Amino acid sequence: MATIELKHIRKEYGNDIAIEDLNLDIKDGEFVTLVGPSGCGKSTTIETIAGLTKPTSGTVSIGDRDVTRLPPKDRGIAMVFQNIALFPHKDVYDNISFGLQLRKFDEEEIDKRVEKAADTVQLNGMLDRMPSEMSGGQRQRVAIARAIVRQPDAFLMDEPLANLDAELRVHMRTQLQRIHDELDTTIVYVTHDQAQAMTMSDRIAVIDDGDLQQFAPPLECYNKPANLFVAGFIGSPAMNFIEGTLTADGFESDAGYIDVDFDTSTMDAAVGQEVVLGVRPEHVLPSESATGDVTAQIDTYTDVTEPMGKEIFVYLVTDQSATVDMEDPSASGQLLMSVGPAVDVGENDPLSVVFDKSNLHLFDADNETALAHGLSEPATVDTSEDTPASADD
Amino acid sequence: MSQSTQPETDGTDDETGGIFTNWVDSAIANPKKVYRAMFATVAIFFLFTTLFPLYWLTMIAFSDGSRVSEGVGLLPTGFDPSSFIEIFQQVPFHLYMFNSLVFATLTTIFVLLIASLAGYAFGRLQFRGKRPMMLAVLVISFFPPAAFFIPLFQLFNQQISFLGITPPELYSTPGGVVIPLSAVFLPLAIFILTTFYGQIPDGLEDAARIEGTTRLGALFRVIIPLSAPGVATAGILTFIAVYNEFFFSFLMTGAAAQDWAPIVDGIISYRSQFQVRYDLMAAASIVAVLPVATLVVIAQEKIVSGLTSGALKE
Repeated sequence: MATIELKHIRKEYGNDIAIEDLNLDIKDGEFVTLVGPSGCGKSTTIETIAGLTKPTSGTVSIGDRDVTRLPPKDRGIAMVFQNIALFPHKDVYDNISFGLQLRKFDEEEIDKRVEKAADTVQLNGMLDRMPSEMSGGQRQRVAIARAIVRQPDAFLMDEPLANLDAELRVHMRTQLQRIHDELDTTIVYVTHDQAQAMTMSDRIAVIDDGDLQQFAPPLECYNKPANLFVAGFIGSPAMNFIEGTLTADGFESDAGYIDVDFDTSTMDAAVGQEVVLGVRPEHVLPSESATGDVTAQIDTYTDVTEPMGKEIFVYLVTDQSATVDMEDPSASGQLLMSVGPAVDVGENDPLSVVFDKSNLHLFDADNETALAHGLSEPATVDTSEDTPASADD
Repeated sequence: MSQSTQPETDGTDDETGGIFTNWVDSAIANPKKVYRAMFATVAIFFLFTTLFPLYWLTMIAFSDGSRVSEGVGLLPTGFDPSSFIEIFQQVPFHLYMFNSLVFATLTTIFVLLIASLAGYAFGRLQFRGKRPMMLAVLVISFFPPAAFFIPLFQLFNQQISFLGITPPELYSTPGGVVIPLSAVFLPLAIFILTTFYGQIPDGLEDAARIEGTTRLGALFRVIIPLSAPGVATAGILTFIAVYNEFFFSFLMTGAAAQDWAPIVDGIISYRSQFQVRYDLMAAASIVAVLPVATLVVIAQEKIVSGLTSGALKE
């Protein structure tokens, strides 16, 4: 068990900068997820912690030790890989005990530890199988057993569930959380799947373009995204963004179909400044059923509906004649609304909606940082149940 | 089309054609038959050209030594299997074989060790000047080994001092053969192993390093075992080539077994001033083939098992 600290990590590959001045301070026993789109530098970050990649500059500390110059084997870490990386020429027992054998543990101790690790991941009775005789999920459990058997200071997991099918992934997700509860070891987990990040972690580090965007508990990232990128990346379906200008008494959208009144005096922004209003689909409410502090009615037409079972995604357009720009749907006045299954919506019907003012987000359009979260007290909803964002795949 | 005409032609065959006409007609109806026949012809031809010399060698070996000069046909002239014992009585042939085996074994170990390190670097690391270096290795393999011979012979025999250091006399020692032959056979082994090591997924090496090996440890514990077919191929090619090698092993050693003379010296020594014992030469050649033949049979099983285990299906 140990803390992990990254200080001013910078990694260049030739002329490309993979990570630019990354600072992370991971607490002892914490489950931290590095999340971001492909190529954002999250894998490079975890490889830097593991020692598989040497940073161009900066220091890595595990526990109280500066491990920046240490080879992977001396860092006291274990890693689970995306491609599982079991040694195909060794059976399960030898795979799990490989690290212990290299460290010259005596046989009794190895036996005992392998037994216990196999027990933890429910692999008893399979120790003499070869990896090629096992299913994907079983192999992944062997890989996890191989990691926990050495009782390392920290686990590093690089997209360990990415190669599994959806059902197994959800199952293994719970398993991993259980193992974390049981072992109480620091875990650094890399994924591009924000659902895994939301459900498993104590804190999420959202990374984009080699930069740390936000490092906070999942719900804080969800409710108070630090900037436009985090707001758009965390949450599924993604947040609606409406470009506009800050006026003396609130927000006015560029497209002209929506105004929100609020007190701008406390805000660190000048009137006339370009801003972006963010609203999550579940905070767009049909106006007839919404009470409380909501915005003025917005007249829209329903475009496409996607019934998901426990909720319905409704694509709204403010102007039926306008064609929706596929690249940037919000700019052309498309809004995504998520309503409960009880709400009756058809396609191509007029529908007036309001935004829940307490859950609006305002961002600076220039530097993309958040200006405000929640522009008033919470609104209440009569009929439909206000479902939280889906964390499913 | 041919199906419908078949009964008709069959009918006419019975009246007019002999065996050959019948066969041609049925081959037209069923072209696969032609391919099978061609395969058989070519296969028999190759088998004959490769195996017949061995057969004839065996016939000479079993002939009566005093009657070999009468000529040996498809059967031995006379019958005298004692040649296989006499070869060890006339000269210490087993010592000559031992010498050749030592050269082959040492060279193979050397080559596999160095080529493994080179193959790891070329196959798995990214570094500046990788391509030029690989090309340089390739270019070196273009030189005929004889081109190196005279300077090496002088170096090993006359101990030319270099920067005040005089090398030990390597003439008539295994070193005089093993060192130049290792250099000659390295490029091929490097290229084979580079390909094989390059195909091992990075994740496996990373996993080994995290689990507690160094890069070198990962090479020996994970990458080489998983590349067993490649290592076996490179090893066998080197072993056979060195065992069969004539030029360096003959010229860099003396003529007597205790001077590290190879098999070929042993075989030549059955030729005396007054007679040439072809039957002994033939018997010695057959005995000399046995170790390599055994090795290939054993290793081939290893290669096949390595290929079929589907080790890298990830």
